[in-house]
Amino acid sequence: MTDRIVGILILLLALGYGLEASRMQVGFLSDPLGPRPFPYIIATLVGLSALWLIFKPDPNPTWPAPRFWPVLGLVLLSLVAYAYLVVPLGFILTTTLEMTLLSLLFGARWWQGLLGALAFTLAVYFLFTEGLGVTLPAGRIFG
Amino acid sequence: MDILQALLNGFGVALEPLNLLLVVLGCLVGTLIGVLPGIGPISGVALLVPLTFALKMPPESALILLAGIYYGAMYGGSTTSILLNIPGETSSVVTAIDGNKLAKQGKAGPALAMAAWGSFIAGTLSVVGLMTLGPLLAQWAIRFGPAEYFALMVFGFSTLSALAGKNLFKALIATGFGLMLATVGQDPQSGISRYTFGFLQLEDGMDFLVVAIGLFAVSEVLMLLEEKTPGAVRAQVGRIYLSFKDFMGSLFTILRSSVLGFLIGVLPGAGASIASFVAYTTEKRLLGDKARFGEGDLRGVAAPESANNAAAGGAMIPLLTLGLPGSGTTAIMLGALVSLGVTPGPQMFQQHPEVVWGLIASMYVGNAVLLLLNLPLVGLFVRLLAVPAWFLIPAVLAISFIGVYAVNNNPFDLLLMAVFGLVGYLMRKLEFPLAPVLLGLVLGYLMEINLRRAMTISNGDVGYLFSSPIAVGLWVLAGLSLLAPVLVARFRKQGLGGDEEL
Repeated sequence: MTDRIVGILILLLALGYGLEASRMQVGFLSDPLGPRPFPYIIATLVGLSALWLIFKPDPNPTWPAPRFWPVLGLVLLSLVAYAYLVVPLGFILTTTLEMTLLSLLFGARWWQGLLGALAFTLAVYFLFTEGLGVTLPAGRIFG
Repeated sequence: MDILQALLNGFGVALEPLNLLLVVLGCLVGTLIGVLPGIGPISGVALLVPLTFALKMPPESALILLAGIYYGAMYGGSTTSILLNIPGETSSVVTAIDGNKLAKQGKAGPALAMAAWGSFIAGTLSVVGLMTLGPLLAQWAIRFGPAEYFALMVFGFSTLSALAGKNLFKALIATGFGLMLATVGQDPQSGISRYTFGFLQLEDGMDFLVVAIGLFAVSEVLMLLEEKTPGAVRAQVGRIYLSFKDFMGSLFTILRSSVLGFLIGVLPGAGASIASFVAYTTEKRLLGDKARFGEGDLRGVAAPESANNAAAGGAMIPLLTLGLPGSGTTAIMLGALVSLGVTPGPQMFQQHPEVVWGLIASMYVGNAVLLLLNLPLVGLFVRLLAVPAWFLIPAVLAISFIGVYAVNNNPFDLLLMAVFGLVGYLMRKLEFPLAPVLLGLVLGYLMEINLRRAMTISNGDVGYLFSSPIAVGLWVLAGLSLLAPVLVARFRKQGLGGDEEL
């Protein structure tokens, strides 16, 4: 059943993808084929495979226990927050917080997680910025 | 004599201090990745590519490092299979069958030594194969035009889709998804933006590293979070030794599995995992009553471990000579090389001999390094398993952040990484193979450009795609490869049937 729903979603994706290709404006300065046919080929391949999935689905997958979903949501949300906060707050602060959160989810005590995260973050920050010349955000709020 | 001269020059490259250091580093990191369950070679290679960019490494050095990680992981994967019955990599799943039985009988030392020697012999033989077959294939492929290249890529995708997962159609969808991602960004020929939805950050297209790290590394973290991996484990290694008698008893198994693994590795899509599986099943049938496969036979360790290392060497052939990676890991190597200004393909043997022969020579060095690292130091690597998951896995994620951010210095990529992390997690759950996405993304651009060049040459006549014997041959092979799942299923059945008997 899951595969059927997934198949329908993928079919919609393929249709949308093909439709978007048909709306591309092509100028005169193009090759004989242009930018549209390759996406059409892909949309056909994916669409037909999705149809097959709808007609011949695999057995349902084993989904995680219901209480895992909030955890997964929390982790994904924290990753999004990380992307927005890493430049203003800096690599060290955001990465320490993110690592601490994950450590706790993997069963560490809060002081273990915090210490481990801080030590590791500081170590890689200086290894990469000072040692290897990679630029990482220092944090705008710190000047 | 040409080859010897070229190889000599290659050793000149490989023995430069920086490159020598990188071989050792690559082998070390690869072994670590192999030992640690949950971190696969694809994530490992993807996480180190940004480092090669940041350090402005020359392409040959970057490739030497990345390849070292790749075949190093094949060595390391066996260790936890044997000692703990936890395969470090999918290519070492079969090793656990006999390897762990041996460990329980107190013969962990001989099993580990057998894995190391088998890997060494197979790895070295596969480099010899790469060295002799590679230039021949490159000479043949140098006449390929756009039509042949397009057919070649169709062939590559069809074998990969046929072999990558249990369900052919899910693999095809994964391939198509990767190709979709490849079309995001500015169209190189007409200049219009495709599928960017107004995001300026997408004009240059999806970066393969961001997708790879999200799809593999982040989703691995999510999977581990769900499984709640058991905490740190400790294992006893004992003395690593192998008697001469045991070694001779397995020698022919090693040699046969090397050849088999190498040939399977050359095929696009059929990587180390399939090689180890087929080698184990073949040896089991071939030896029959003479062996006690499944009860703790050293040859049951020798066969898969030789085969997976030989396959890693074989996989370099299509990558280097045709520019056609056959697996997720080699797809990342291709992407890295292209970013560094070297496009793998038949011309590379002439235009960038230092890259090709430097890599080949470094693989001889690397295999020796791995043998030296593994025989005395296995105990040390195993102690790493005592590092608790609550530290190790968040640390992997932190390294992912650096890798993704370092690509473009743009936090938007971190957002994309999170999205692909979720996509990767759902794909794993629904049993969609992940590697085809990466291959589609890395090869999609070349596939489209060759199709369009072919159509420009023929002025829009589709028949041109089937106009040369080579192209027609590749189309036929592509069609035939879609029948491969039937063959693989037969092999699986035989293997499983055998297990039930025991």
